[in-house]
Amino acid sequence: MVRMMLRFDNEKVHEPVTSQVILEEKIPINIMSAYVNQQGGEILIDVESENAERLAKAFRKKGVTVDVPKLIEKDDLKCTNCGACVSLCPMNALIFNADKSVELNEAVCNGITCGLCVDACPVRAIRLLG
Amino acid sequence: MEGKNLITKNLTRNKRTIEEINNKIERSDIQVLPVSEFKKIVESKGLEVAFNEIDIVTTGTFGAMCSSGALINVGHSDPPIKIQNAWINDVPITHPGAAVDLFIGATLSSETKGFEYGGGHVIEDLVKGKNVNFRATSYGTDCYPRTEIETTLTKDDLNQFILLNFRNGYQKYSCAVNGRDEIIYTYMGKLLPKYRNASYSGAGEISPLNNDPSYEVIGLGTKIFLGGGQGYVLGEGTQHSPSTGYGTLMVKGNAKNMSPEFIRGASFTGYGPSIYIGLGIPVPLLNIEIAKKAAVRDEEIFTEVIDYGVPRLGRPVLRQVSYRELKSGKLMLNGREIKVSSMSSLQKAELICHELASWIKKGNFTLTLPIERLSNQGQPKPMRQIKGAAAFVDSILHEAVTCQENETIEIVAKRLITKNVNHIIVTDSDQKITGIVTSWDITKAIANGVRTLKEIIVRRVYTASPNEPLEVVAKRLAQHNISALPVIDETQKVLGIITSEDIAKLVGGNLNG
Ligand code: SF4
Ligand code: SF4
Repeated sequence: MVRMMLRFDNEKVHEPVTSQVILEEKIPINIMSAYVNQQGGEILIDVESENAERLAKAFRKKGVTVDVPKLIEKDDLKCTNCGACVSLCPMNALIFNADKSVELNEAVCNGITCGLCVDACPVRAIRLLG
Repeated sequence: MEGKNLITKNLTRNKRTIEEINNKIERSDIQVLPVSEFKKIVESKGLEVAFNEIDIVTTGTFGAMCSSGALINVGHSDPPIKIQNAWINDVPITHPGAAVDLFIGATLSSETKGFEYGGGHVIEDLVKGKNVNFRATSYGTDCYPRTEIETTLTKDDLNQFILLNFRNGYQKYSCAVNGRDEIIYTYMGKLLPKYRNASYSGAGEISPLNNDPSYEVIGLGTKIFLGGGQGYVLGEGTQHSPSTGYGTLMVKGNAKNMSPEFIRGASFTGYGPSIYIGLGIPVPLLNIEIAKKAAVRDEEIFTEVIDYGVPRLGRPVLRQVSYRELKSGKLMLNGREIKVSSMSSLQKAELICHELASWIKKGNFTLTLPIERLSNQGQPKPMRQIKGAAAFVDSILHEAVTCQENETIEIVAKRLITKNVNHIIVTDSDQKITGIVTSWDITKAIANGVRTLKEIIVRRVYTASPNEPLEVVAKRLAQHNISALPVIDETQKVLGIITSEDIAKLVGGNLNG
């Protein structure tokens, strides 16, 4: 499961965006909490991991802001910048900076559906969340 | 060796002596640079200018160095004990000398935490100043009556805490890939199936021995940066292999003065604990020949891409590759581009070069020349194995009974009976494997009234290749709880079959480790 926060502005909140996306994409979602009024709204949902990316794209296309809460964490104090994780990442979420330090771009990580890097880290600096 | 030394001296006149260099260090007017910056000057201004301007370059590497450990002396208890077995934080500590001298081997695992904590972590914790739990047992003698002891210790309680590494600073190392169809976990890291990633080690052009490839200034007695403290080279490391360009060093240093920034315990999933060690070595530019060697670039340093999917001593070499290509993050293999990354930290290697350069600049570190040079010829021998050759799949594989997908269940069932086997391999017309069927599958099919073979073929087949050791194959059988493996070649063609019965007959059932 992947958790996502959908944010609607004062215009989008008047359109049936959520149901449109569900009908078009045929992806079931689980609403965890919702707060909606005339000014806009926020809906926190859970969705099956394999559908998460497609769903987020569909919402974004309709002008909804989609935030994926953090899926993964790298402890930069522990990390030795060895790079053992870098070649494993299918999303290029782990990259070398110019100074040869290793950076994790959480936004493009697939989180629990992937996890390839986690047990490859010799100093256990990477942790999946949720 | 002596003669060779003289020849080098005659050919290239030294511009600077080590004494002059050390005087300059003491007067704080030494010109010292991390070797990567020196190479840039050589590139922009030429070797001559760079050599005239710079007295010393600093090299460094930070990588997993398994053949490492720490010698400790824990002091005598009252009444005294002649330690026979000892543990720190549940990691067994080996006993190399008299009563209370112990060796913490970096790769030994904790008896309670397994691979997640080992000798490398114990050393890191001690370096950090942490309290560790120490216990020991013995048989008791008249002079050492005590048989058991348990206490806590920090590095301050130890009489000696010496990092003593048999093999560090590999000049270069091979680049690992995996041709198997499953993920493998190695000391070269996690390798994805079917050559989907590659992993290498070593700092290439900034690594110590690559900048002194004929071992002129690095040898027994060379003072070095070790784990954030000072240390010395003790000579060539074990498996030193100068003839193939894989030189190694044996080093030691006082671990009490080291820093956790450059000494890190590590766990390799599926392999075990190890330790990351930072090693830095100054190269005094005594003459232009030495300077020229220190100008070497990554594109001139080559290593081999090796298939770690083949669990043999002689693993297949797939191609040669330069450190330039490795550091680019992409590697061409079989016409495809795959991601490659290092196991050793280039960022920390560079940091070590800078740190050592600043010690020298501040006058805290003078240089020594070796009092004995490393041998620059030879390579290690493999182990002499006297108990007969190890057994591999091809030694016991036998002919497989096969069938094709369009055959009927009855015909296949009859074939199982007449050939008296339990497994039948399904192939296409080229004898390439497409699945497997067992006598149990057939029995079930007949009982359930299934008519066609297609419906019962198992498509996800675990296989073996002819050059795999039987230990590996036995493990695979046990892991997947199956009793036979089709043996295939690289093109998926069926060569035969190997069953757990065959293996058990050969080794008396001792292989399920
Ligand atoms: S979990 Fe997967 S996608 Fe995320 S950083 Fe690790 S390897 Fe990349
Ligand atoms: S494997 Fe671990 S220590 Fe190495 S770069 Fe990745 S996160 Fe850092």
